[in-house]
Amino acid sequence: MKRIVVCSAETPFIPVGGAEMMTQGLVRALGERGFRVDTVGLPFTDDPRPNVLRSAMAWRMLNLDHVPGHGQPIDAAICLQYPSYVLRHPRKIVWLMHQHRSAYDLAGTPYSDFSDSPTDKATIDMIRRVDTQTLGEARAVYAISRTVADRLQRYNGLRAAPLYQPPPRTERYRSGDYGDYVFVVSRQDPQKRIDLLVKAMPHTRSGIRAVIGGTGPSLEANKALAAELDVADRVEFLGFVDEARLIDLYANALAVFYAPFDEDYGFVTLEGFLSRKPVLTARDSGGTLEFVRDGQTGLVFDAADPAGLARRLDDLMADKERARRMGEAGYRRAASITWDAVVDALTESIP
Amino acid sequence: MKRIVVCNSQVPFVDGGAEILADGLRRALLRRGYDVATARLPLAVEPRIEVIRSALAWRLTDLVKIPGRPMPIDAAICLKYPSYVLRHPCKIVWLVHQYRQVYELLGTRYSDLGDSVDDQAFIEMVRRLDTQSLGEARALYTISRNVAERLERYNGLRATPLYHPPQYEDRYRCEGYGDTIFTVSRQDPLKRVDLLIKAMPFTRSGIRAVIAGVGPELEANKALAARLGVAERIEFVGYVDEAQLIDLYSRALAVYYAPFDEDYGYVTLEAFLSGKAVVTARDSGGTLEFVKDGETGLVFDAQEPASLAAALDRLMTTTGQAQALGEAGYRAAVGITWDRVVDALTEPIP
Repeated sequence: MKRIVVCSAETPFIPVGGAEMMTQGLVRALGERGFRVDTVGLPFTDDPRPNVLRSAMAWRMLNLDHVPGHGQPIDAAICLQYPSYVLRHPRKIVWLMHQHRSAYDLAGTPYSDFSDSPTDKATIDMIRRVDTQTLGEARAVYAISRTVADRLQRYNGLRAAPLYQPPPRTERYRSGDYGDYVFVVSRQDPQKRIDLLVKAMPHTRSGIRAVIGGTGPSLEANKALAAELDVADRVEFLGFVDEARLIDLYANALAVFYAPFDEDYGFVTLEGFLSRKPVLTARDSGGTLEFVRDGQTGLVFDAADPAGLARRLDDLMADKERARRMGEAGYRRAASITWDAVVDALTESIP
Repeated sequence: MKRIVVCNSQVPFVDGGAEILADGLRRALLRRGYDVATARLPLAVEPRIEVIRSALAWRLTDLVKIPGRPMPIDAAICLKYPSYVLRHPCKIVWLVHQYRQVYELLGTRYSDLGDSVDDQAFIEMVRRLDTQSLGEARALYTISRNVAERLERYNGLRATPLYHPPQYEDRYRCEGYGDTIFTVSRQDPLKRVDLLIKAMPFTRSGIRAVIAGVGPELEANKALAARLGVAERIEFVGYVDEAQLIDLYSRALAVYYAPFDEDYGYVTLEAFLSGKAVVTARDSGGTLEFVKDGETGLVFDAQEPASLAAALDRLMTTTGQAQALGEAGYRAAVGITWDRVVDALTEPIP
């Protein structure tokens, strides 16, 4: 039986997020296919800044070639994100969730904490060189999406094949009515741009409502924005929603809004599709556009044009049959994504 | 709510006693209202330089605060080598063991290090790393007096022994005193199950042995029993689950546990909590912190199988002795609680 160690960065005391769910999903899928799986998770921090590179060096210190004391080989190490792929392993396979984005596409945007000081520039340069070197060592490099693969090509000159995973527990999603609200659930932080939806609401005429789930640092600002734009009565902030309610909210929505800035992948798109809903996303939303085809599985708007988003929402209200058709097309796209295909690709290079 | 991170080394694809300890500690801290997380870094030992590199990985790890937020991690409790190489303003060490091959196992058949210049340099490096990084700790505890004494002897550092209960804490029971000597352990050379087998031909009381556990020496131990003509009085039961284990303890006459220089040894305490006397050897280390000869068990000489056989026969034939010793053992073990462990470990947290 082949042994595979799954390597990922951890953040102690932070509640389980997307990265942990991806790790758990992969571990389960490998186990179901008969591999012996263990995980290694080193704590990652970038605070204070020098830790960005120190955390990477810690991975470089490890040796996971063999089971200690037994001599049997560990047949592959699958590394998921910065800096776990800095590990050295004769059979290193990378399934890239993300690099340290502050040093890449987010640099120079408000979402990065790097300035253009010489020190910061040197750190960015170092991170990129570490990545180019260590990702280049891998026997195979996959990315969780084309967006992530494209960045890797652009910044590091390395090729990776996109390899899509289903969201956790796909079987729980279902479809109900196409109601009178657009639904979104995500962490309330600036990068998720919930404010775009709030800003579009004053321009709508169809009486559509917005239902917004999730908590985070931008929650209060988003609520204040809704009040300021005088749409508080049509924008409902739910905060944290439990699983049963989440499934219901997806099932009965008219459509799903999900328009973060340059998202890596985004489970929300696929959850919307599995609930047979069209997804509204923005032209600069990154990974969502690998699934949302304008007019086929959803609608794409310009992030700088709140009225454009409002018009699309009104159009869906006026033609719910169209919303349903796009949702069905989205469902077919999402249902074709399986863990089996992920395991096939990741284990292909294991001798 | 205070945040505590429990730091331990990990051996991928292998599980063992120290995971039980880390898990017990984590649960005990949670019960007392702490916010607890664990950090585990894999330890590699081959080639030898990996022993040092694994320690450096801990030195490069920062667990002082939660990233991006003004939230400190109030303490780091470090267990096995090399987790205590971590730097933390409130580092508390509860030492399970150091890298034993460069300490008390040196010069025995359990260490592969010798007198070569390279080996000596390696030994020196690990010892200095330990002295430095353990010396940084705000408080230094060990899982046993044996481990504390080694630390004092080799690194000149003082530590307080802090005992903890075995895995199934309050589930052990006593169902009387049968005619079997029971032992459970990983079947490897350090555990010296062969001493028990070698004693069996010398016994005259008809005592039987039940040996649980798996490991690299299992087949050799079985072969030894056959060769000595005692196979019909020794039962190897292999892996046992929780219910079987508790049951085997509960019905035994007494328990055998005589590893070489054991750090601590759950078996001793499990036996006591099952009301059973423990038969151990003079060089078994941690077991002797609990087994008092003639009070809570019997101590024999590892070089003399006949002395072990005599001890076993005495327990079989002296009416009431196994029970009296076992009950005294119970009284010694029952005061060892997780609450006391948490009290001591969290005392230095400001």
